[in-house]
This record gives sequence, structure tokens and C-alpha cells, in this order.
Amino acid sequence: MTRYAMVIDLNTCVGCNACMAACAMENQTPVWKNKWRTYVHDNEIGTAEDIHRRFFPRLCNHCDNPPCMSVCPTGATYKLDNGIVQVDEATCMGCGACAMACPYDARYAVTYSDVRQGREFFGEEAYRRTRPSMDKCNFCAQRVLNGRKPACVETCVGSARQFGDLDNPDDPVAKMVASGTARPIMAYLGTQPNVYYIDDLKRRG
Amino acid sequence: MDVTTGFFTQDLWTWWLAVYLYFGGLGAATLTTTFLTDMYMKPHKELVLWGAWSGIVMLSLGSSMLFIHLLDHMAVIHVLNPLVLFNQPHAWIAWGTQFIVWMMVWGFLYSLPYMLESEFFNSIPVLKNVLAWPLVQKIGGTCGRHCRLCGWLATINGIGTVVYTGLLLQSFPAVALWHNPGVPLLFTVSAFSTALAFLLLILNLAIKKREEDRALRVFYERTDLMLIAAELVILFSFFFYLQRGSQSAAISAQLLWNDWGWLIGFIGFGLVVPFFLELKGVIKGWRSPAPIMLASVLVLVGGYLLRHYFMYAGVYARPW
Repeated sequence: MTRYAMVIDLNTCVGCNACMAACAMENQTPVWKNKWRTYVHDNEIGTAEDIHRRFFPRLCNHCDNPPCMSVCPTGATYKLDNGIVQVDEATCMGCGACAMACPYDARYAVTYSDVRQGREFFGEEAYRRTRPSMDKCNFCAQRVLNGRKPACVETCVGSARQFGDLDNPDDPVAKMVASGTARPIMAYLGTQPNVYYIDDLKRRG
Repeated sequence: MDVTTGFFTQDLWTWWLAVYLYFGGLGAATLTTTFLTDMYMKPHKELVLWGAWSGIVMLSLGSSMLFIHLLDHMAVIHVLNPLVLFNQPHAWIAWGTQFIVWMMVWGFLYSLPYMLESEFFNSIPVLKNVLAWPLVQKIGGTCGRHCRLCGWLATINGIGTVVYTGLLLQSFPAVALWHNPGVPLLFTVSAFSTALAFLLLILNLAIKKREEDRALRVFYERTDLMLIAAELVILFSFFFYLQRGSQSAAISAQLLWNDWGWLIGFIGFGLVVPFFLELKGVIKGWRSPAPIMLASVLVLVGGYLLRHYFMYAGVYARPW
């Protein structure tokens, strides 16, 4: 059985935002409204002269116990056997309960006007979306099912994002997770997330 | 990584969701209270007609607030289908939608026999013809014979709706203010308190049977007084829970208890002032109904403020 996961190394993310751009083009997100499936937060940490910038990439954590799925009244949010949490735009009525339930701020709304503008922005023939819905990262399932990596992973210049299979003990991602080098965020909420982070602050002292 | 924790409120479910929760709770509690009163305390045609129809209007208004803000209005068909409870039994909106729909259906059927004999409803141009249809007469007769069954089916769905308004917020695990068992309790107590305040206004302003309904009004006033007291106790425990809870809880506490609208508007004028007005009414009585009506209006406004501030004070703590 395959169980997909992502490891993000905060030490090597340089904040170039190429992941955001690649994701936006691959998944046709409404960038004109600053809505992204993945977003890189730019923070300053420390005081006085001892300050450094931290770039924190954020995306759907494809939780094993996803609160967005349990609150979804129509069943539009569902989980594949490989661990990917997806949204069926035809079933989603866009109540927003998933966005309220998600601790990772991974959800955003695609409105009727976004769909219209999407046709102009990405081209009438290329644009895939037909209806409004709540949207989120799906680990580029359309690429992964064809043996490719998610767009953000493929484009990352610092190799900060790595994608792999937790059920394959030889996979580098599985090894980093098993060793505790990469740890999930907000796991205390019981979400059992599948995006793991390698901390940068320990190395920086 | 907690040195970088940021605190965020949300701007997705704002005042309109507070209106949905408010009218959902108030409407369902109003229907439930009038039907229980009619079944077990005192048969009261006017109260049932006022309670049932104002409750149905409030439930419709509240539901329309959610419907208007849906991204895809056609997809609402998926939650209107009763089978949704088998497909998504863990989603409270699915339960809530079914509770609201069936509450309105059974509420209408319970009030139908009274509508058939009501002079007012039989004087409305088109409606009087509809009420005269043999099928409607037959349904009304059947509902009249099985009024307890209709009443209890409406009551079960009404209580379900009231509790659902709190369970919905409770299902969001990241926000400490919402994700705790006190929320359904607080919203349930508040919903029945506002419903009794609303019915006191109806009894005093619309039905106006001063002597006949005296015992009923006194009962409503006493019950409302106890519910307001219970609400104050729940809020007191919320205050201490939030003070010493997670960071999300502590920030929510700061947002609420440093806000004059919450402190003076809701707790002061929405609970404490009506509590003392109704306490005086219960202990010594008032010469005029005006103070109780004032208390009722304050409780109704306070009920909305509670939900409004709850929506805006929910805090997400995130590691960025």
C-alpha cells in the first residue's frame, strides 16, 4: 500500500516562491485574488541584530484524520487509499465548514467570478474547472498517479520539498519521518498530518 | 517551532453565520416551547399559531443566510436529501439541515388544525381557498387526531436544531473557544432563553390575554430567569477555562473580555439587567408589563451578540 507524504526542510527553503508559481499554473488557482494551494510565509525571527528570515511553506497536510472531511456535509471531501485528500467540485456546495475546521489554513473559496476569470486567465480550452467550490492542494494527484512528483516538489530549487511513500521503508521521506528528523505540525490536534517539517531553529542555535 | 506562532481570527464565517445560528436556535426553541406548552400546560391556539409561524419564518431567514453565502447553490440538493445522514453521519451541517427541514414540516403540520379553524388564516385571499381543499382538510384532521405525535416529532427536531447550532462550532478542533463541550450547552440555554423572551413579547404585545395567560407568563418569566442564571454560570466557567487554557483560548479571552460590546452589551445589558428585571418581577411583581418586555428585548439582542462575538473571537494558533 502507498501512503504519500511530504517533507519540507525549513533550512533550505530560500523563499523564491517558485513552488507557488508552479502550483498555480499546474492547478489553475485564482492567483488574481491571491489565493494559493501552497503559500510561503516570510517571517523575521529574533531580536536586534540577531534576526533571520524564515520561509515557511504551507499547504494541505493530507491528514489521516482530516477534520475538513468529517465536517463536510455533502461528502465532497474524501480521502484516497494512497492518503491524498481530495475535493469533488461537483458535489461541494461551498459552505466553508472545511476551511473553518482546517487548522492549517489550507482551504480557500473559488467563486463563480473566479471560474469566469479563470477561463480568461488560463484560456477557455485549457481551463479545467467548471463549477465553484472550496479548493485545496491534492498533492498534484493528476501527476502523482502518472508517476510524477507534485509541481511544487519538482520545481523547488533548494530541494526543500521532498515527496515520498511512508509505507516504503527505503524511501528517504519515510526514513526522515521514522527517525524523527522531520516532524508534523500541530499533531496534538489529532489530525495525524502527512506533511512533515525539518526545523531550522535548532541548527541556527 | 513555537517562537513563530501566529494568532489569526477568521473572516469566512462572520455576522451572517451568527444570524444563521441565532435564528436557527431561536426559531427552533420557539416552536418547541409553544408545542410543549400546548401539549402539556395549556392548549393555546393563538400561541401555537404565533410560535409556529414566527419560528418557521426565523428558521427560513436563518437558513437563507447560509444558502445565500454558498459558493454553489445548486449543490445544496446533496444536503437536502435525507440519505445524507447515512453518507455523512459525522457532519453536523448535514444533521442540522435535516433537523431544520423536518422541524418546519412537523411544525406546520402541528399548527395546521389550528390554522383550519383560525379566522385570520381563513380570511387571507388565496390561502383560505387552499385551506378549504378536501386534501388539506383531511391532513388537518389527521394531524389533529395525532397531534401528540406531530408535536413530539417537531420537538425532537427542534431540540436537535438548537443543540446543532453549538455542535457545529464545536466540530472545529483548532479553535479552543469553539472546540469544547460548553458551546452546545451555552447555545442551547441561550436559545431557550431567547425563545421564552420572544414568547413573553408575543403574549404581552400580540395575544394580550392578561388574566387568562397570567400563569403561563409567570412560568415563562421564572424559567427564563433560571436560564439566564445558568447562562451566567456557563460564561463564568468559560472565562476561567479560557484564561488558563491553550494560547488560542487565552487570545480569545483577551478579545472577548476586553471588548465593551461583549462586556457591557452582551453580559451587562443582555444578561445581568434582564436578570434583575425578571427577578424583581418574580419576587415582587411589576405593575406594568413594560419592564418584562424591556427585559425580553434585551435578552433577544443579547442572544445575537453572544453568537456574533463568538464567531469573531475564535482564534487559530499557527506555526507561521
